[in-house]
Amino acid sequence: MRVAYMSGKYLKAISRALLLTGVVFSSGASADSDLSYQTLRDWISSSANGADHLTPGQHLSYADREIIESLVPQAAWKYYIFEDMDMEVAATGTYPPPSDWGQKKRDDYYLDDQAVLINFAGGGFPFPEIGGDDPIAAQKVIWNMLWRPGQQDFNMPMVAWLRSEHGKLDRVFEFASVSATYAQGKDPLVPGYEEVKSKSIMEFRSPRDMAGTKSMTIEYIDHYKEDSGWMYLPSQRKPRRTLSSERTAESAMGMDNIKEDGLGFSGKIYENNWTYLGKRPVLATINVRDNAEWGGPHLWVPHKARWEVRDSHVILIEPKADNHPYSYRIVFIDAETYWTHWMFGFDRSDDQVLRMSQHVLKYSESYKTESAQQAPFVKQDFSQNLSHNVFLHLGETDINTKKPHATQINCYVQKRAFSPARAKQFFSLRNMTSGRR
Amino acid sequence: MSKSTDLLAALRGCLLAVMTIWSGYAIAIIDVTENIELEGYVKAQNVIREQSLGSSELIMQRNTVQLEGKYYFLKDGKAFGRFNAGRLEEATLTIIGRSVYDSVFDHRDSFKDLDDFNGSNIREVFVDLVIPPFSFRVGRQQVVWGETDNFRALDILNPIDLSWHWSQEPWEDIRIPLWMVRGIYDIGKIGPFEETFIESVWIPADFEPNIVSTDPRYPWSFYGAGLPEVANATVIDGTLYDLNVAINDRGPGKSMSEGQAGVRFKGIWRDIEFSLNYFNGYSTTTGVKFRPELTRIEGDDLYTSVDLVNPRIEVFGVTANYSEDRFTQSVLRLEASVTKGIPVSYKPDTPLSVDPEQDLFDTTDQMVIMFGMDRPTWIRALNRSRTFFFSGQLFWRRYLDYSRHYQGLSAVAPAMVGGQVIPGRFVSEVASTPNQDEFVFTLGISTTYGRAGKIKPGFVFAYDPRSTGALNKLTLEYLWSKHFVVKASQSFYWRKDDDEFGPWAIGDLYGRKDRRRNETTIEMIFQF
Repeated sequence: MRVAYMSGKYLKAISRALLLTGVVFSSGASADSDLSYQTLRDWISSSANGADHLTPGQHLSYADREIIESLVPQAAWKYYIFEDMDMEVAATGTYPPPSDWGQKKRDDYYLDDQAVLINFAGGGFPFPEIGGDDPIAAQKVIWNMLWRPGQQDFNMPMVAWLRSEHGKLDRVFEFASVSATYAQGKDPLVPGYEEVKSKSIMEFRSPRDMAGTKSMTIEYIDHYKEDSGWMYLPSQRKPRRTLSSERTAESAMGMDNIKEDGLGFSGKIYENNWTYLGKRPVLATINVRDNAEWGGPHLWVPHKARWEVRDSHVILIEPKADNHPYSYRIVFIDAETYWTHWMFGFDRSDDQVLRMSQHVLKYSESYKTESAQQAPFVKQDFSQNLSHNVFLHLGETDINTKKPHATQINCYVQKRAFSPARAKQFFSLRNMTSGRR
Repeated sequence: MSKSTDLLAALRGCLLAVMTIWSGYAIAIIDVTENIELEGYVKAQNVIREQSLGSSELIMQRNTVQLEGKYYFLKDGKAFGRFNAGRLEEATLTIIGRSVYDSVFDHRDSFKDLDDFNGSNIREVFVDLVIPPFSFRVGRQQVVWGETDNFRALDILNPIDLSWHWSQEPWEDIRIPLWMVRGIYDIGKIGPFEETFIESVWIPADFEPNIVSTDPRYPWSFYGAGLPEVANATVIDGTLYDLNVAINDRGPGKSMSEGQAGVRFKGIWRDIEFSLNYFNGYSTTTGVKFRPELTRIEGDDLYTSVDLVNPRIEVFGVTANYSEDRFTQSVLRLEASVTKGIPVSYKPDTPLSVDPEQDLFDTTDQMVIMFGMDRPTWIRALNRSRTFFFSGQLFWRRYLDYSRHYQGLSAVAPAMVGGQVIPGRFVSEVASTPNQDEFVFTLGISTTYGRAGKIKPGFVFAYDPRSTGALNKLTLEYLWSKHFVVKASQSFYWRKDDDEFGPWAIGDLYGRKDRRRNETTIEMIFQF
């Protein structure tokens, strides 16, 4: 891992002076509660020179809020800046992708007139170079995000906590996801399945009324084609076909995100208007030591976590549909790795933040020196995470600011390489005909 | 100590054991060891029936303990963590046991002479084996085929127990598990088809009919369209006779020669998931074969004999579903079946040409077509965050070789001689003739409310357009905590007109004035 350190003392002093004289985006308690779209846009346009005051190993506390405010998107201040906060700052790292990344790509792919990627089958970023003045830069960033390495191929036990204000725990779910990337470039994982992008199966373990409920999703490389989905309910003892095109409702289980919020954006490119807002450094939990300890006044945000300043593409997404719950969505996507750090969805009725999410990641090679937690209900061999050169998604928080309520998820990821035969057998309708009971 | 008290003590013991084990764990499923998991629930269910306005009675106070254990004795090709199992990749043992104690049979004087529904049993015990591309489930189990919800077209492999709460419970809890072998051969992609597999089911020697309580003293007995009495007389040419009926169970036994088997092929063709099904077994609906040669009159008594039969049936079926994302944004479901050999009864005056044996019995062929639609639907005025899940089904059932001599529901009526009602004497009458085409429509709507979706209201509607009988059910579930759930429901049976009775046992039958089965149910569940 190559490390780029921050600038020197001189620059720091000037920057701090600028911060204190309010040249940069004005801060303060009143801005904490300002969750408007325009305020976040203003923040994005403001200077981010708080990064110049950081040194690796430094711990940021409430007293450093001016620095933090220049690097944490304004709409998140209300939740991320609190009295006993502790943000450890790490040097900004460089995280190489898998060694063969980009070498197995097909070369006949293109964007159609709706900026939909055609014929792409993975194996690398579709757009390794994106110019800021490219009129479809926003869509290209999203395509890179949707095809980033490490998205699948794991066993991932998870625990989700659904909390009201002041940390009141409303529900806890235990579940696990297993997934495989089928589209791996010129040659798919399973010969004959060229149209499949990925397959995944997720199963609930608790509470008992959900235990054994499992779903299978098939995602296709054809972006115009909706995913195929099935859900096995133990009470029905059979799988049921599910609809994939409804992406804007919260789940019936009460989790605080909507399907389209997954990865920052999991919708359809052609259902939205796109604007590239440039790059902006933000603090991100990109290579944490461990799964998040949830803190803050409501236990909604990572606490005592390791953060890095990451240059991020800022993408503005405007849903075309009048009945979409969001008027705007702003996503911060890592400029090097294309993993999403922050997402903000604005309520169509008043342009105030309705939902936000922030992701916790860990680079596979960091398991050499520090392992993440084991899931509370299964023990895994994390040494298998090494040598993949990908990020593992260790969790996220999804906050609904208007309920107000939040869901925190810790993921305990172990990379898994499926053989073609095993993938074919495991990710099959056959596997959905019966379940835990 | 009485039988009930024994059971109560056993239940308390079970509960105590579970609570003791559970107390050390924060979240649901109990990991007894690394390879053994335990889960289950304790449920108290109270049902109050409102038979008529201002009249209500407690008809159920059912306490249930269900324990479900799973033993992973073979993982990743290694048995018990040490022995290489070759091609056998995974194996688990599942045991599901249930104990029931309904205290209403102890409390209500009118129930005290009845056999209760109490008892403990291992409902399901099966081993799952994965030997790619084969997988097997062997043991006592439930197997569900088809696309319908709570309807017997292709979901006919397991009989159902309608005796204690008709079909109002989750069918998972009222299906009668059978000893069977279920094997699946996974094919995958073949020609134009994707996700294909062949599944076969063999029930070598385990037949059970549907269980229906016909004793009118039971709260959920099925006594037809008439009085809640047992026919004890018959009138022939103006003369009243005591009726003495010998009932002989001639259903299939539990021998290998009376096995049942089925097979289905499932796959996806152009995004349409489909299955082709075939089952050769026995009708779980019991038919009644009158024995005219054993009928005689001796003095004031008429002696007769009937055989209860479950004829062999053949079921051919097709299912399909399609996720239609563009125009309707719904999942469309289809199920069609033809069943040959369903038992039917003839009316007593059926001519010889139709019923040459004069046993008032025959078998018939029926076709069922179900069209269903599932749709998550926004009603933002009622729920701003979450959709409502609408699930509608329309069933059309047709007798393929219909006879106007078929008998529909029977009814018990007061015996009359010379225009006078004879007290305490009841006769059986034919109450209706089935229609060749029968229809029923069902609709279920559900959503969740509350910041964590802990409040779950639901609505169920079933309607038979011919009989105008209907059922409305309102449900409300509250997830108090991860372990404690409270459920309440209210069922209303009603009908629009006094037309003939239909076959579905909804408002036409259970919404009759002064015999309504409207009910309020309150359930408290502790789950782990």
